[in-house]
Amino acid sequence: MNMSIKRLMAIFNKDYKDLSRNLYVSFTVVVPLFLAAFMGRQGNIALEQQYMVYNLTLCLVTAYIQCALIAEEKEKNTLRNLMLSPASTMEILAGKGLLSFATTLLVLGLSAFFLDYMPKDLIVVTAAMVLSAIFYIGLGTALGLMTKSAMEASVIIMPFVFVFSFGTSLSFFADKYPFLHAADYLPNAQLLLLAKEVELGAGFADVWSNLGIIAIWVVVMTAITVAIYRKRMVD
Amino acid sequence: MENIIEVRSLAKIFGNQTALADVSFNVGKGETFGFLGPSGSGKTTTIKILTAQMSQTDGEAFVFGSPAADLRKPDKRSKIGILTDNSGLYERLSVYDNLKLYCDLYDVSYTRIEEVLQMVNLEDTKKKKVAKLSKGMLQRVNLARAFLHKPALLFLDEPTSALDPVNTKHIYKGLQTLKEEGTTIFLTTHDMNEAEELCDRVAFLNKGTIQLLDSPKSLRRQFTDHTITVELVDGNKEIIDIGANGASKLYNYMSENKVISINSNEPTLGDIFVEVTGRKLS
Ligand SMILES: Nc1ncnc2c1ncn2[C@@H]1O[C@H](COP(=O)(O)OP(=O)(O)OP(=O)(O)O)[C@@H](O)[C@H]1O
Ligand SMILES: [Mg+2]
Repeated sequence: MNMSIKRLMAIFNKDYKDLSRNLYVSFTVVVPLFLAAFMGRQGNIALEQQYMVYNLTLCLVTAYIQCALIAEEKEKNTLRNLMLSPASTMEILAGKGLLSFATTLLVLGLSAFFLDYMPKDLIVVTAAMVLSAIFYIGLGTALGLMTKSAMEASVIIMPFVFVFSFGTSLSFFADKYPFLHAADYLPNAQLLLLAKEVELGAGFADVWSNLGIIAIWVVVMTAITVAIYRKRMVD
Repeated sequence: MENIIEVRSLAKIFGNQTALADVSFNVGKGETFGFLGPSGSGKTTTIKILTAQMSQTDGEAFVFGSPAADLRKPDKRSKIGILTDNSGLYERLSVYDNLKLYCDLYDVSYTRIEEVLQMVNLEDTKKKKVAKLSKGMLQRVNLARAFLHKPALLFLDEPTSALDPVNTKHIYKGLQTLKEEGTTIFLTTHDMNEAEELCDRVAFLNKGTIQLLDSPKSLRRQFTDHTITVELVDGNKEIIDIGANGASKLYNYMSENKVISINSNEPTLGDIFVEVTGRKLS
């Protein structure tokens, strides 16, 4: 597949200008940063609590911004113009995902700084976070394609924020409700498990199953997103 | 002449509603083809099928010699330009930034932005935010966007519906330029004057079928009743046959200095439409 970087960057630049003037959406980046700064002042934060901030970032920044960007393109009938241009599905989706991706890395990095988090193996954790970000971008895109407006986007994202950022604590109740063990396979839970392993000295070879499960989420989500997108190309 | 669009027995059914029953026509290279019909007659539906935004229920549609659905392939899309009835723009960006995005997507030089803005009479508006534009200005920016990349085939769905007469004239001039450059234009409208002004041929669409298809000129000829109306000094109006019978009558009136004005009774496209379909256009 030949991707045109020029087209991809044109969409990215457009979204950057647009988002920087859209305070309603861009303001969400402040929430995890504020939380991280606040928690960071207490010092010595448990990994579980830290990862609540990172998972919240992935939902509230990554998925929500992506969802809002796509929903608005739909609402204002600009998405169809992009679809009718020579830009391919991948150029459009990647171009639109790049901004949420860059913002995510920035917010995650700053949060980790506030929380004084330095993983024992930075490369493994970064790889897991990047993979997770791609999953949440896919999630945001799919949700954005299913909603009709930016307003609706902020509502539809809520249950996902609940499950994916606070849901990490679901497994605490798993002794009582065994079906909750399934929550261990959610990408957010896998991210935390991986981080814990890394602190115990694990490297790539030890966490491949966690990375693999997140990667499966990415593949499934991408397939769903592309399918919904293709469907939206025709009335 | 090479056909840019070929449509054979096209049909589109939504649930239990037939939008297009059986539509066939060709559009030749460089031609401006008018698709006329009242609201709900299937004009937009036809454009959507021709631009692969919708699939037909039955029949065939070819664009540039390939099935219209091939336009779903990105590289085929640079040859067409589309203005739909709800094309959108990015409201927080300036007119210039909006067009710049499409310059990049279509691989067109930014100098083209000035050119198209001039064609739609908006050269002073390029720095303005889209959110601050009037409805007519929006329509003109959308139009500029549609032909930014000099498409060989341009689809225009009611391009002047939100415009005042002055800007309508500007658009007509712009479209005339595109025509001279060889652009094939497929235009829908329910404005008969627009069709007369711009179109080489027009099709009358009603109830999902084409009821008449010809050049405006020959349609007018076909439907004329071969009379003229003479207004006389005494205030009476007389309808006179334009054949030999009427000649002596007119000669007499004129030689007696009784004539104030002579008017042709050639029908307008609107008259013809009403006569053929029994329906008013708007
Ligand atoms: N997506 C759709 N689902 C169901 N019915 C539809 C759909 N799109 C169009 N129709 C119906 O098909 C018919 C033709 O609609 P179309 O939009 O093509 O008309 P039009 O000639 O463009 O009208 P107008 O001049 O108002 O734009 C209408 O009766 C409309 O209700
Ligand atoms: Mg229409």
